[in-house]
Amino acid sequence: MFPVKPMKPTFKCYLPPVQTDVKKTIDPPIKKLEPKLLPGEIVVNEANFVRKCISSESSQDDLWGKLICTNFKVSFILQDVPSKQKPPMSHLLLGEHDIPLTCLEQVVTVNDTKGKKKVLGSNQKLKFNPTELILYCKDLRIIRFCFGEAGPESAKKVCLAIAHYSHPADLHLLFGFEYQGRRYHESKEERVNGSASRGGFQTPIFDRPSDWDREIKRTGASEWRVCSINESYAISSSLPEFIVVPVPLADQDLKRYSVYFTGHRIPLWCWNHSNGSALVRMASINDPLQQRKIEQRVFTAITKSHPQRSEVHKFELDKSLPNIQDIQTAFVKVRHISVIDPFEESEERWLTSVENSRWLEHVRAFLKQSAEIVYCLDGKNVSVILQEEEDRDLNCVVSSLVQLMLDPQYRSLAGFQSLVQKEWVMAGHRFLDRCNHLKKNEKEESPLFILFLDCVWQMMNQYPAAFEFTDAYLTVLSDSMWIPLFSTFLFNSPKQRTQHLMDFAKNKAIPPGEDQVVFFPPVWDWSQQFSTKDQTLFNNPTYIGKGAACVQNGEVKTFTRTKQKSYSSTMRGTASSMRNGVKERGEEALVRRSSLVSELKPDFSPVKDESPSERFFRDWFSQPADQQGLLIPLLMPSHVALWKLFFLRWVPEACIPKGGPITAYHKISQLVDEIEILQSQLRRYKGPSPGNTPLPSQREPPLTQRRMYFKATSPTPPDYLSSSFPFTPVGNLCRRSVYGTPISKFLNGARTWLSTETLANDAV
Amino acid sequence: MEKSGSIDSLGSKRSSSRQPSVDSLSSTSTSRSDRSAQAKPPSAMSSDSMSTSAEFSPELRVKPKTAVKQVLRDSEKEEPQLLPNETVQDMAQDITYFCPFTGAVRGTVMVTNYRLFFKSTDREPAFVLDLPLGVVSRVEKIGGASSRGDVSYGLVCKDMRNLRFAHKQMEDTLRKSIFEVLIKFAFPVSNGLQIFAFEYGQVFPENGWKVYDAISEYKRQGIPNESWRITKINDHYELCDTYPSTLAVPVNIPDEELRRVAAFRAKGRIPVLSWIHPESQATVTRCSQPMVGVNGKRSKEDEKYLQAIMDANAQSHKLFIFDVRPCVNAAANKKNGGGYESEDAYQNAELVFLDIHNIHVMRESLRKLKDVVYPNIEDSHWLSNLESTHWLEHIKLILAGALRIADKVESGKTSVVVHCSDGWDRTAQLTSLAMLMLDSHYRTIRGFEVLLEKEWLSFGHRFQLRIGHGDKNHTDADRSPVFIQFVDCVWQLTRQFPAAFEFNEYFLVTILDHLYSCLFGTFLCNSEQQRLKEEIPKRTVSLWSYINSQLEDFTNPLYVNYSNHVLFPVVSLRHLELWVGYYIRWNPRMRPQEPVHQRYKELLAKRAELQKRVDELQREVTNRSASSSERAGSPTRSITPVQTFV
Repeated sequence: MFPVKPMKPTFKCYLPPVQTDVKKTIDPPIKKLEPKLLPGEIVVNEANFVRKCISSESSQDDLWGKLICTNFKVSFILQDVPSKQKPPMSHLLLGEHDIPLTCLEQVVTVNDTKGKKKVLGSNQKLKFNPTELILYCKDLRIIRFCFGEAGPESAKKVCLAIAHYSHPADLHLLFGFEYQGRRYHESKEERVNGSASRGGFQTPIFDRPSDWDREIKRTGASEWRVCSINESYAISSSLPEFIVVPVPLADQDLKRYSVYFTGHRIPLWCWNHSNGSALVRMASINDPLQQRKIEQRVFTAITKSHPQRSEVHKFELDKSLPNIQDIQTAFVKVRHISVIDPFEESEERWLTSVENSRWLEHVRAFLKQSAEIVYCLDGKNVSVILQEEEDRDLNCVVSSLVQLMLDPQYRSLAGFQSLVQKEWVMAGHRFLDRCNHLKKNEKEESPLFILFLDCVWQMMNQYPAAFEFTDAYLTVLSDSMWIPLFSTFLFNSPKQRTQHLMDFAKNKAIPPGEDQVVFFPPVWDWSQQFSTKDQTLFNNPTYIGKGAACVQNGEVKTFTRTKQKSYSSTMRGTASSMRNGVKERGEEALVRRSSLVSELKPDFSPVKDESPSERFFRDWFSQPADQQGLLIPLLMPSHVALWKLFFLRWVPEACIPKGGPITAYHKISQLVDEIEILQSQLRRYKGPSPGNTPLPSQREPPLTQRRMYFKATSPTPPDYLSSSFPFTPVGNLCRRSVYGTPISKFLNGARTWLSTETLANDAV
Repeated sequence: MEKSGSIDSLGSKRSSSRQPSVDSLSSTSTSRSDRSAQAKPPSAMSSDSMSTSAEFSPELRVKPKTAVKQVLRDSEKEEPQLLPNETVQDMAQDITYFCPFTGAVRGTVMVTNYRLFFKSTDREPAFVLDLPLGVVSRVEKIGGASSRGDVSYGLVCKDMRNLRFAHKQMEDTLRKSIFEVLIKFAFPVSNGLQIFAFEYGQVFPENGWKVYDAISEYKRQGIPNESWRITKINDHYELCDTYPSTLAVPVNIPDEELRRVAAFRAKGRIPVLSWIHPESQATVTRCSQPMVGVNGKRSKEDEKYLQAIMDANAQSHKLFIFDVRPCVNAAANKKNGGGYESEDAYQNAELVFLDIHNIHVMRESLRKLKDVVYPNIEDSHWLSNLESTHWLEHIKLILAGALRIADKVESGKTSVVVHCSDGWDRTAQLTSLAMLMLDSHYRTIRGFEVLLEKEWLSFGHRFQLRIGHGDKNHTDADRSPVFIQFVDCVWQLTRQFPAAFEFNEYFLVTILDHLYSCLFGTFLCNSEQQRLKEEIPKRTVSLWSYINSQLEDFTNPLYVNYSNHVLFPVVSLRHLELWVGYYIRWNPRMRPQEPVHQRYKELLAKRAELQKRVDELQREVTNRSASSSERAGSPTRSITPVQTFV
């Protein structure tokens, strides 16, 4: 366990202690250390007497055990069963010291005495005996093992095995294809009842016309229809089988036009505003001769599908947003400064480093672009087409962000999952390539989905009551990308998924007609990974849900949205002639009085005219935010922050013991839990037969019905709460030793960055 | 006294648009509206726009309905509700205000002996600007009469904004511009007038001047005890005129020796007790630099005195002397007779420099920060621009220093002596922050007020000089945002420990607003002695009177009273943030981040309501079961279902 008060010891304790007692601990009684294996999982190689490094400064906390490579994960089995507490959130499929092979970014072997280092790939040779193995993980962990006492040969073998098995030659070699087959057959009996109803989870998959129909109805998009020309992927291999198109466009025309679109990706309906404006995405038209004509047809059809026949605005995202390589580069940089750079050394230029990574700039660019589109749909009441060369990357981010801002449905847990399913999975985002699960082509790798999650986090950070799910949920979702057991993140397109899963079903003797959601579930079935209790960490206690009620003066009031529909009048410019006239004179005057310029200048820079969209945003910001209405993130650079839980959760130096937003979450959760207890009491009072007296003993609802992780009955915050909660940095981030500990360093390191003017004045 | 509706004037800075969320609040608001009706919150400052930028903090949104209604009515009126004894000095029509965010606005200006009030005539809803003259740092006439006959005035404000107005050249050359009138009342001290705090006679239910009593605060800490005593040697400020009259010193140093120690410490500011650890008896003591000089002068008495401080703590045989300055600066002070303790002279003492820069560096840093955040934030290079101001870096060093002190006292059980040059700027920052980390009492609202009264006001932080109340000399090198910086550090702590403080962000912003407003006497003068001489407590109202009369506005609902919980913040730029709710609040494109506090209050109201119903039903059931023997099976009164909000 991470020390509760790392500041507690005197500063002497931060000095690396002399390694005297190492020998004592390495004469362990031979114990059989068995890994916990999943169905279909086999041990490939293993090494005994391996040391897992906990801290980069000293080895006194290091753990001894056995390092195992299986066809699914790298596992570390402790020699001594630890007496300490379990981590707050425990994964059902992975132990505390396990790393899925797909989560490995880089496998590095080191020989300290020879001063050698090698990054291992598949089928490689290693000319030295490794003394150390460093695993850089895609979830930003850095895990270090020392082989000092392990046999040199077995150390080498296990390293090579890890490197080899983390580079699968083919998609179907990913462990999910083994595991899900076994799991399907082993758990068949339990499923007897539920298999028809998709295992009981609510997230629509959008692989059936009915899912789309429901969306059309829900958003009131009456001039749009489900079209099945792509059934069996007849038109496009990356589009879903069922898509939604404007009613005025006939199947015939669509088929005809499709050949001119990149990847045959014809315009695809995403969402409808209640004012009738539609959000549509499409690929670019590759034949310049046809471009105008086809665009014209498409635009006309969309205009006709608008109740006010309002025009269509096209956004070419390739031109306005960073490309996937830019995003990958930024991510690599921000990851580097967050976890790889030594903490204290990077402290001095931290802000500039964050800026130079450009990650936040990109996050902001996507949010800003999305907000502009929101302005068109909501403020200008025009339909919007998102166009991107392939319509499979930037469009996914922007279309889902726009919907998240406009439609509160998507801010619920189930709604958010359906959004990802609709705009990412079914829309053909190349998860396989972008995640680079097969480590084949680094050029295709790009963390677009993480960028999207970061954007969602920015909004959540600004509007904490608007989302049903938490920061921890987004983080866990990002981690799930690196566990190859769920159908969600394994494929490049719906077609690829269908084909692979058909082959899989055939090979695993799964009866034809069985639902793929049942035999190869998506990540949305969270019970695969977490207990019901741990899943409550996804629930945001401050969420104001749909039809949210608030008790006021004894009445239950429903939040209603009072929408300010005065855009037309607010967008009217103020008398600009007067303003401009005065402004000009003001500038002249300024030039003459240069003495004032230095201090007054910022204020008197020319008064800029607000653009209509700026006016729209300012108007919106001047109103109270309706958590169940339109939500626009603050777009000033000062309001886009680094997603600390995601980037810094493993960094021990950045962990605030007994602090961080979680302490507020704890307090609110308890209150909400109390409310839920009261509500369930009320329900019992007015139970089915009103005459019944409730049993006084049943004061609390069963635990399964309680949505809060922290219960009302635990008033004091637990000691293990920290800003990294529910994750723990212990053993998950061990950089190669850079001596001198963070705290001692910055406390002793006298740094003067300022001029001599300082000195002269100090005597004052 | 006339009960003028200062609620209204406060209201004008609140946007009426917050109403829906106000509505969502229930019974709590009702009770408060009563209280605020009598308490009459004075207007602090007003917004730069009609929008929400007006709001200093999210908590403001939680307002009693009545107040909101008054605002609505109010904005239709021509002028603000004046405070008691506030008088209109001048009014002018056809003034243009150049809003850096939304363009030029035309309207009327009113200047009183307390505020400037601008109200637009060409916008709907009206744009209102209501600022206390105390925030004005300087007024400059920009340019002479131009061909078009306009005169322009720029107001540089202490609270991170600049305002610019223009009006037609006066036809009548004898008539003064309203801004000339403003200058007179913005700088009363320079114009032989009285600061408005002396005229404002508002009566509040609570008397804030009673918040701090040195003797009872020492008593709370267990002083006097076997090692520390209270001395009356400074009763008439003869030992040290910038120290409080009540001092706590080691028991075995007689008053006579204190005088000799005083001779060796700059301005006579001898080491005295600030805080004592309730268990280990390790202490935080504060003083000024020793007068070592270039020749390395020593003082037996001073050495003995520090030894006595160390001996008062049986747990440790060491004493840490934290010289808050950078080492080079401390050495440079030798030329002026000052310097630092040599470890040769002070046995068992270890000297540590904390590298915090002086008031001039801090002033420059904040000036740069203002350039970066006001009026607009550049889209690119925000973080590097922010870094180049060094503001957060300074915040970090101050917090790091306080953390070291807290750690020494809590974990090392060692006593510490803290000083800078004079011991009234950086020393106050460091001791008060360390005490805030160590002692949860100071994290309550009243405790924090005590902390400010004690470590800042009574120990002579020179507020008058550092802020320059009512003084037109804006280039005065003695001005410095030392106190703002401290409040910023406190805000950083509240960010890292959102449940550890009883007060909210609005509390901190309010303190800073009234640091400048000159409405209350709290931050006037430079020392306890001066305050006594000016009869400040008699002649002015304390800021704590206002705050403590409506505590709910300033309370953090998430507060958990962890007893004996020492806060060890992570002092890293990864966790330090720019306080946007203060520095960028004038920007209408910034909305106070949606607070969970508000939501928590709603949930509290909901719980109360549910509890009430459950109790009612329980009673009903009990009654029924009592009578059920007679009439079995009578239907219960139907109950409206409480909707779940999820």
